[in-house]
Amino acid sequence: MRKYTPKDNVQKHSYYTDRFWVAPRVPREAVAEGSHFASVVEAIGTQAKECYIEVGQLVLQIESTENFAVLQTLKEQCGYTQCSEQSAVDYLAQDGEFELFYQLLNITEAKRVRVVCRIKEGEAIESVVPLFKSANFAEREIFDMFGIKVNNHPFLKRIIMPDDWEGHPLLKTYPMIGDEFASWYEVDKIFGKEYRDVIGPENRDQSRIDRYDTKRFSRVGYEVPFGADISEGEKENPIAYSETVLVDYTQESGKQLDERR
Amino acid sequence: MQQPNKLTPFFENLNFEREDNTMVINFGPQHPSAHGQLRLVLELEGEQVVKAYPDIGYLHRGIEKMAENMTYNEFLPTTDRLDYIASTSNNYAYALAVEKLLGIEAPRRAQVIRTMLLELNRIISHLFFVATHALDVGAMSVFLYAFREREFAMDLMEDYCGARLTHSAVRIGGVPLDLPTDWLTNVLTFCDKVDYEVEHTYGALLNENRIWKMRLEDVGVISAEDALSWGCSGPMIRGSGIKYDIRKEEPYELYSELDFDIPISERCDSYGRFMIYMEEMVQSTKIIRQLTRMYKDTEPQLMAHAPQYISAPKEEIMTQNYALMQHFVLVTQGMRPPKGEVYVPTESPKGELGFYIKSEGEPYAYRLKCRAPSFFHTGLLQELLVGTYLADVVTIIGTTNIVFGEVDR
Amino acid sequence: MAQHQVNYASAAGLPIALTSVDKLVNWGRSNSLWPLTYGLACCAIEMMASGASRYDFDRMGTIFRASPRQADVMILAGTLSKKHSEFARRLYDQMTEPKWVISMGSCANTGGMFNTYATVQGVDRIIPVDIYLPGCAPRPETLQYAMMMLQKKIRRESANMNNNTKQNLRLV
Repeated sequence: MRKYTPKDNVQKHSYYTDRFWVAPRVPREAVAEGSHFASVVEAIGTQAKECYIEVGQLVLQIESTENFAVLQTLKEQCGYTQCSEQSAVDYLAQDGEFELFYQLLNITEAKRVRVVCRIKEGEAIESVVPLFKSANFAEREIFDMFGIKVNNHPFLKRIIMPDDWEGHPLLKTYPMIGDEFASWYEVDKIFGKEYRDVIGPENRDQSRIDRYDTKRFSRVGYEVPFGADISEGEKENPIAYSETVLVDYTQESGKQLDERR
Repeated sequence: MQQPNKLTPFFENLNFEREDNTMVINFGPQHPSAHGQLRLVLELEGEQVVKAYPDIGYLHRGIEKMAENMTYNEFLPTTDRLDYIASTSNNYAYALAVEKLLGIEAPRRAQVIRTMLLELNRIISHLFFVATHALDVGAMSVFLYAFREREFAMDLMEDYCGARLTHSAVRIGGVPLDLPTDWLTNVLTFCDKVDYEVEHTYGALLNENRIWKMRLEDVGVISAEDALSWGCSGPMIRGSGIKYDIRKEEPYELYSELDFDIPISERCDSYGRFMIYMEEMVQSTKIIRQLTRMYKDTEPQLMAHAPQYISAPKEEIMTQNYALMQHFVLVTQGMRPPKGEVYVPTESPKGELGFYIKSEGEPYAYRLKCRAPSFFHTGLLQELLVGTYLADVVTIIGTTNIVFGEVDR
Repeated sequence: MAQHQVNYASAAGLPIALTSVDKLVNWGRSNSLWPLTYGLACCAIEMMASGASRYDFDRMGTIFRASPRQADVMILAGTLSKKHSEFARRLYDQMTEPKWVISMGSCANTGGMFNTYATVQGVDRIIPVDIYLPGCAPRPETLQYAMMMLQKKIRRESANMNNNTKQNLRLV
């Protein structure tokens, strides 16, 4: 029976999982009283839905509509002057939502905060370019890779994929080897669609060998001229290897060899 | 006779759209000083740039997508191709992120070897920077000298891991191999050589060179505020007078035990950053010398002991049944880290290289985001280039030290 | 002076005279291969290393040129992404005849380890390739060997070979 693959997440999954397997969780710690992070949580106040420390970094979960306000507070009151990374995670299959995160850095305290928010599919997020200029490229990348619209972005355009590309590659519904459009992109662009037959489909099997293709593969031991047609059976002229002469040391010949040496 | 195709047969690189005396010039993606595949669309007024638009993505290979379809150990060699000038720093950043997720720590000898390899890679990358930056600005001889020393470092890397460029010299949980014999002596000889050459060859050729200073001084000035806002890191932020080095401020590996300085420059221009690169090479040799002394009193264990995640050493696999079973499961299914997310920054030669990993308890990462320093440095170009002269564009691209493997990923 | 209208190139008795011309032309072509500096990815670093002090390509008459108009050989060093493919073809079109292509590294040969949506699965889908170099990344010695193989190939070529038929043969 063919294995069922869900259509909403076409990424690779483990072929076998023990049915009693429960994945453990990276420990989440509560924010300690009096620490630097406690002051951050205090400054954010009720805007944070949940806050905990995971692997040494404070994680703040907020509403997606408040992202600008929270980042502004963090920048102006808590000294988080650098937004070192921002991106999204696709949870459309499970919850119909995207998870966005902003990774902020406080240079003077050497502390990092991750601000996490969730948005529904089709919703837009407010741009943080007025606060952090690094968001300019990062938000364009989010738009390009996930199709998440960003409001008030100065120049929201595809950044990594070409402008005429179809689909958003980092969505879980997008297969790794691409779709129909992706596989013919360069041929359509350079030669036109009518050349698809001439050039042929992509070969994605790295270990494919066609023994009748005499242009791309040589036939060791049964060499034929380049491009020769051997579909109707090839000439049988294997290479003649030199024969190995076994010397029997118990007999006369062996003695001779020893003498020569 | 050309094969007929849909492209304009005689496409010209210059676009004379003369409106109000501005000219639109297309720089790259095939340009010898575009450091790979940067495409810049520049709007010029006379010789001055009025608008710059960096267009990236010409080396997008879908590495983040691949991470979602590969087990954690499978993905490690792919990280080589991010910043391919200093591969080990990528391997290390990735391995460290996974280790933080698993909650394991590499044994001490592995840490010594890793730190040594990281610093060696820093020297390789900085030598490459000096070489190409000088070549872009017009000093051909420095390129030849710097590549000579770089080849020695490549030989050292080759002695250790067998590859010149794509090392994969670090594993999750340690390193695969111990140092070969004579490696420590060779690396010390190399350190002496680098120290000498930095002062007497590149330093003598460039530091006080009149043309070099004219081309670099007060070119590409980034204020400290801008550098922070644009997400700059590494020498770019230290060149703007902010003393922030992840090795010192958020120490990982053995950096908390080592004695080294963080060079900074208050000049905020290309020349200041160039001097930082030169000084960092000397600091790296200083670190390597300290590490060779530390290597001698370490235990020979190379991989962390965590049977749930990491295969046992080879001799145990060959002799003990349980180790063999674990190894089989880890190879065929891959390790399953706990659920959770982690972001681990490291100081790569270019700046802050961090991996964000979101794990859902499966052997495949749910989401892996590589925070590449060059990506943000490229974004900076659209502001930095405005107002400069066309001749300085190449200098500014050179000084950001961007590598397109990690910009586009 | 007689202005004669004989087309020597298609005349029947000519090939004998042309063999020595072939030799001369091929000697010139094969010993001054000027590659285009077309660094795409990781292999470009090895390509630079082969041009630099240790491997020193200049001694083979190989001088890297930045303009496709002055180049004979295109070394596709690295991964060719789909976004870039159009430019690669355009640069190939801009090069003057005769021209040769070396596909350096696994990514350029077959897409290599990047079996993804964004990578061209082998540059021979868009450009006719003469020599494929295996390796990820190939060592500078490998590139040097490829250049020598290309020289051998050029020395066997006929000077007035119709390049169009050659191309079609290669591409399909």
